[in-house]
Amino acid sequence: MNTSRPIRAAALAAALVTAAGLTACSGGEDDGKITLSVGLFGDFGFGPLYEEYTKLHPDIEFEERISEFADHHTNLTTHLATGSGAADIEAVEVGYISQYTAQPDRFHDLLDLGADELEGQWLDWKWQQALSADGESLIGLGTDVGGMAMCYRRDLFEAAGLPVERDEVSALWAESWADYVAVGEQYTADTGGYFFESSGNMFRAMVEQAEEGVYDREDNLIVESNPAIGEAWDLTVQAIEAGMSNRLTAWTPEWNAGFNEGTFATIICPAWMTSYIETNAPDAAGLWDIATVPGGAGNMGGSHLVLPAQGEHAEEAYAFIEWLTAPEQQLKVFEATGNFPSTPELYEDPALTGLTKPYFNEAPVGEIFTAAAQAVRPQYQGPLQGDVLATIGQGLGRIEDGSQSPEEAWSQVLSDLESF
Amino acid sequence: MTIAAKGTGRPGPAGLLRYRLDLKASPYLYIAPFFVLFAVFGLFPLAFTAWVSAHEWSLLSDERVFVGFGNYATLLNDPYFWNALGNTISILLLATVPQLLAALLLAHVLTLRLRAQTFWRMGMLLPNVASVVAVAVIFSQLFGRDFGLINWVLESVGAGRIDWQAGSATSHIAIAVMVAWKWTGYNALIYLAAMQAVPREVYEAAHLDGASRLQQLFHVTVPMIRPTIVFTVIVSTIYGLQIFAEPQLFGGGGQNGVTGGASRQFQTLTLYLYEHGFNRGFEFGYASAVAWTMFAVIVLVALLNYLFVRRIRSAS
Amino acid sequence: MTAVNLADRTADQPAADSRRSSRTALPGRPDRRARARLRALREQPGRLAYLTLVAVLFFSGFPLYYSFVVASRDNSALATVPPPVLPGANLVENVRRVFDTVPFGTALLNSVVVSGTVTASVVFFSTLAGFAFAKLEFKGAKVLLVSVVATMMVPVQLGVIPLFMLMVELEWTDTLWAVIAPGLVSAFGVFFMTQYLRGALPGSLIESARMDGASTFRIFWQIVMPAARPAAVVLGVLTFLTAWNDYFWPLIVLSSPEHQTVQVALSTLSGGYVTDQSLVLTGTMLATLPLLAVFALLGKYMISGIMQGAVKG
Repeated sequence: MNTSRPIRAAALAAALVTAAGLTACSGGEDDGKITLSVGLFGDFGFGPLYEEYTKLHPDIEFEERISEFADHHTNLTTHLATGSGAADIEAVEVGYISQYTAQPDRFHDLLDLGADELEGQWLDWKWQQALSADGESLIGLGTDVGGMAMCYRRDLFEAAGLPVERDEVSALWAESWADYVAVGEQYTADTGGYFFESSGNMFRAMVEQAEEGVYDREDNLIVESNPAIGEAWDLTVQAIEAGMSNRLTAWTPEWNAGFNEGTFATIICPAWMTSYIETNAPDAAGLWDIATVPGGAGNMGGSHLVLPAQGEHAEEAYAFIEWLTAPEQQLKVFEATGNFPSTPELYEDPALTGLTKPYFNEAPVGEIFTAAAQAVRPQYQGPLQGDVLATIGQGLGRIEDGSQSPEEAWSQVLSDLESF
Repeated sequence: MTIAAKGTGRPGPAGLLRYRLDLKASPYLYIAPFFVLFAVFGLFPLAFTAWVSAHEWSLLSDERVFVGFGNYATLLNDPYFWNALGNTISILLLATVPQLLAALLLAHVLTLRLRAQTFWRMGMLLPNVASVVAVAVIFSQLFGRDFGLINWVLESVGAGRIDWQAGSATSHIAIAVMVAWKWTGYNALIYLAAMQAVPREVYEAAHLDGASRLQQLFHVTVPMIRPTIVFTVIVSTIYGLQIFAEPQLFGGGGQNGVTGGASRQFQTLTLYLYEHGFNRGFEFGYASAVAWTMFAVIVLVALLNYLFVRRIRSAS
Repeated sequence: MTAVNLADRTADQPAADSRRSSRTALPGRPDRRARARLRALREQPGRLAYLTLVAVLFFSGFPLYYSFVVASRDNSALATVPPPVLPGANLVENVRRVFDTVPFGTALLNSVVVSGTVTASVVFFSTLAGFAFAKLEFKGAKVLLVSVVATMMVPVQLGVIPLFMLMVELEWTDTLWAVIAPGLVSAFGVFFMTQYLRGALPGSLIESARMDGASTFRIFWQIVMPAARPAAVVLGVLTFLTAWNDYFWPLIVLSSPEHQTVQVALSTLSGGYVTDQSLVLTGTMLATLPLLAVFALLGKYMISGIMQGAVKG
């Protein structure tokens, strides 16, 4: 009999485990308490705030579901399309928000739940971003914004004979991006090092600062006709040809490594980037500093919290996100994570404006990013905003790795965009 | 243990009926669980997909427009589809051919009377223990342009650094290495299980005829485990044509992961499907058409493969 | 037990006889003991064999070892030249952080339930169907087998959305059933067992059992299952591994933390603006440990299983 033990054991085990699986599957309703699920990409620093809220409202509890950035948005789209599986509260990054405002029926209208009285609380453009196309409903409340600054390596600047203090550095390119590229050409020629990490990021920063980006207000792609884009492209190509780019892909280990090793001298820094650098390059403390970005202000990144219509606890969920995105809580999040608040009321608050970061040589991050956020000119974001920018970024990538000339790359970008 | 009749010769008339019923019905009964479960969890999604592929259907809206074969026409006219097909076949060949040959040799070595046999055999499966995430992190480090171990070694021995991701050939090789790393031991174990079923007397005969070990492998073992070889070739082809995680992770997970590099130099068919179905625009209809086209391609390649393996069989 | 042995002998006899008769003509045919010596000689591994194995093991193991190195350091370890090759001191700290972030115990239990059920079911049903395809005659067998293989050719990514819709209908989303049910049978398993049994199970064995009046199921239970044992163990290990590391589908269908499998739970470690690779690798390493334990346990079985197949032929 024992000759076939494994298979017989398998048959038996199948029965047993199936039974066990059945019992393990039965989730239950709690005793009058409501558990709100919160779907995020990464840690938003909400942990202590859940506890605080549960103390205020003992019948509300929380369950946080974190997944990876791209997975999070892919899953959310799947769950919205099938009408099941989404959390009560979901985070949406700005690159994806207009994709969802195009389908407002799939979300609870926050104007009906009480948000109509809060309009002035957020930066106007942050509020606008979450309005449906017809302006009749609001799908999300803003969390952070990503006003841009420029992070730079003090040690590398010093070695290249460039000024080191942040005011002087800001002055180097205060006039325009062209000055920034000129400084970079000098830097690369003198040291042989790279001035920035990827050309796509530089290009994107310039586009975000323009009055109009890749879409017009009617959701038409204007990549070819918008002069701001042509200028940004040409300047970026000039920087590539001068050998200024380290040709790194964002979020890869190599890119991470660059922060510590100092393979590049500058990087565009939205507020959230500062904590990324700090975590990724602990050994480079004091070497990084923060100056202003050329070309005026612009926004990169930031999120909203939305309530999918399939969620059953709309009122409770709304009450929570209203509380969570209120200035007091946004300030706590900023202190914990560096994600910059989207509520202008705080921009007058010394608790925010007075904040400095030891890692960045005591840079006054509160002051820098407040100024950046206040100066942002709202730019309309179209439905496939993120994908369009990524497609252009890949065109620049093809110039960087030498597989195409700038002209070839540009015409391929345009033909790629035709299928959008 | 209800069977009383054992070695009693011919069954009676009632027994005969039962015997014939048993003979006729049993096979269907035994394959039923597979087909029933597959019908529910496999066939339904398939059929549904076929229907979807005839529509312009995005997950981002509730609007659906019937377009017939429109999606297929677009697809066949898209040079990126053909590019993806070419990349897939190139990676498939680079990964599968050396991998199966190596697995065969390895399995042969594993049949020997080794000390610590369990250790060696279990060791073959080590790469399979690693999760996709771990594989991604580790191999993107190893093949890294600036800080990668491989480039560091290359530089130390005087050869230049290689930007593995940028080139078409180099990226295909890197991905093929990731695939082969994970599956060589796996296939070796499958071969080993089959080799153990080869009667030893056959080898003794070959040994008496003066065949060397390697000759024995190719002239005795390989013909004897032919069904298993057919199995691995077909399965490797099928899964190889669907390769997804490795190129995606090799590209860094972002846009380069989805398009397989800035020049689409390593975008495979499944990545192409993913780009349309789960990324930009969530074009469920178009992606379904891609899936069905892919299905046709895989059937075709598997068939060619089968005919090829059969030729080898009759030749040897 | 007795039936099996009897059948074994009947199966071996003719084959052995035919060989013997073909060789009796040779003068000086070696006796039994000499043959055993010969066999031992043939199977004696040389230095080259060990060298090959050591090399293979090194290349298989090194990336895993390397992930351990990174897991025991901090995030910047991936960025140094030359890359570090020795473990650092951060392992305990990283492990503590993983346990703080992820409900690891629950996830582990879920993974065991899912992978265990799927493995047991796949092994059993594959052996059953494989036996039918390999050794029983029935109408449509060829077409049906081809259709089994064809099901493997369907790109998995695509079934995801209809499958999810189906799970919504069944109200199985966010339950372990949603992950278990589609995995209960596998075309790979059926095809694998069919091909294996074709080679490993002599037709004469079944014939003689039939002559003895055994029913098909009795033949399956007493002859096929023992003969399938080596392949069953291999299939079991492979299935368990695949189920354990499955990620794409569980991530979509299992959302709440108490129902997540290990791989899904681990995905919460990466993500967001900041990815701590050493933390991620510590997590994947911890998820691997139970697998290694299963291996160590099954290792003995696997080897004895394979050897048994060898003896029986």
